[in-house]
Amino acid sequence: MIHRLCNAQDIADNSWNVFTVNNSVDVMVGFRNGKLFAFDNSCPHKGAPLSKGEFNGDRIVCHRHFYEFNIFSGKLENMPSWKKEDTWVEQNPAWRSSGDLKLYHAFIKEGSIYVEIP
Amino acid sequence: MTDADYAKTSKPHPNIVAIEVLKKNGVNVEKLKELITKGVGAEFTTYYYYTILRMHCTGLEGEGIKEIVEDARIEDRNHFEAMTPRLYELGGALPRDIRKFADQAGCPDAFLPDNWEDINSILKVLLEAEQCAIRSWGEVCDMTAGKDPRTYDIAQRIMQEEVEHEAWFIELLSKRPSGHFRRKFAGQSPHTGSQGGLIHL
Repeated sequence: MIHRLCNAQDIADNSWNVFTVNNSVDVMVGFRNGKLFAFDNSCPHKGAPLSKGEFNGDRIVCHRHFYEFNIFSGKLENMPSWKKEDTWVEQNPAWRSSGDLKLYHAFIKEGSIYVEIP
Repeated sequence: MTDADYAKTSKPHPNIVAIEVLKKNGVNVEKLKELITKGVGAEFTTYYYYTILRMHCTGLEGEGIKEIVEDARIEDRNHFEAMTPRLYELGGALPRDIRKFADQAGCPDAFLPDNWEDINSILKVLLEAEQCAIRSWGEVCDMTAGKDPRTYDIAQRIMQEEVEHEAWFIELLSKRPSGHFRRKFAGQSPHTGSQGGLIHL
């Protein structure tokens, strides 16, 4: 189903907004260097809201464990080690594992941003 | 089948108004249950790992921080006890398998570092754990503020103690004053506890 979110001019370049669709899906929508992106606001690793993160190039960096996901492909591109010091013990693979971002198709039509939620 | 499906009953139950009102307030209850399950998972695993860390606070320096680690250890267990009933009220459940419970926890395992004889190395692990917990419960507070007073109340009480724990460990590492005196007794939980018990007990 397609949902209208806002006027395209309501979101500045290199920023985002979060919209709750159907009272259940939080969609993070924004522009990165003029290009529109949209994905589920929940980090695929441990569910943290990605809207609390920040950009690193075309990646969104989750504020909880600093995993980095490409906002256009959705791929997990950087999974930082927990070993902040050489003497620390790494986390086990089951805890560290993460899926990719859940992307949504978003587009601009007649000055408005729309998103398609399956 | 989800982690919580094992806890479902075979008999139908009436509409749960306490959940209905949350949905009408705009709370994504499924997402909230997910965050709470991960949050209490982190508290429970932290309690376990803090036990190990506390045991390794040895020597003259270690003795000085042992009781502070003990306060944080017991209070993190209290956080698990304080929030878990709310998870069930919302229709959630703890994962049936404790291995799965630990793997889904919202914060990393606070493993004993290899150089544990350096007390600062233990303090750094403790600090990281507290900081992750602050982020985690802060998310629950943000999600429930003005919409779900019951969950918010418990989460903000937990947050208050996690913030104090962070301040303790920062003080011990950097000498920045934490602004707090020690607890009246080990694991007092001045915010999630009440007269030595817990808010639910």
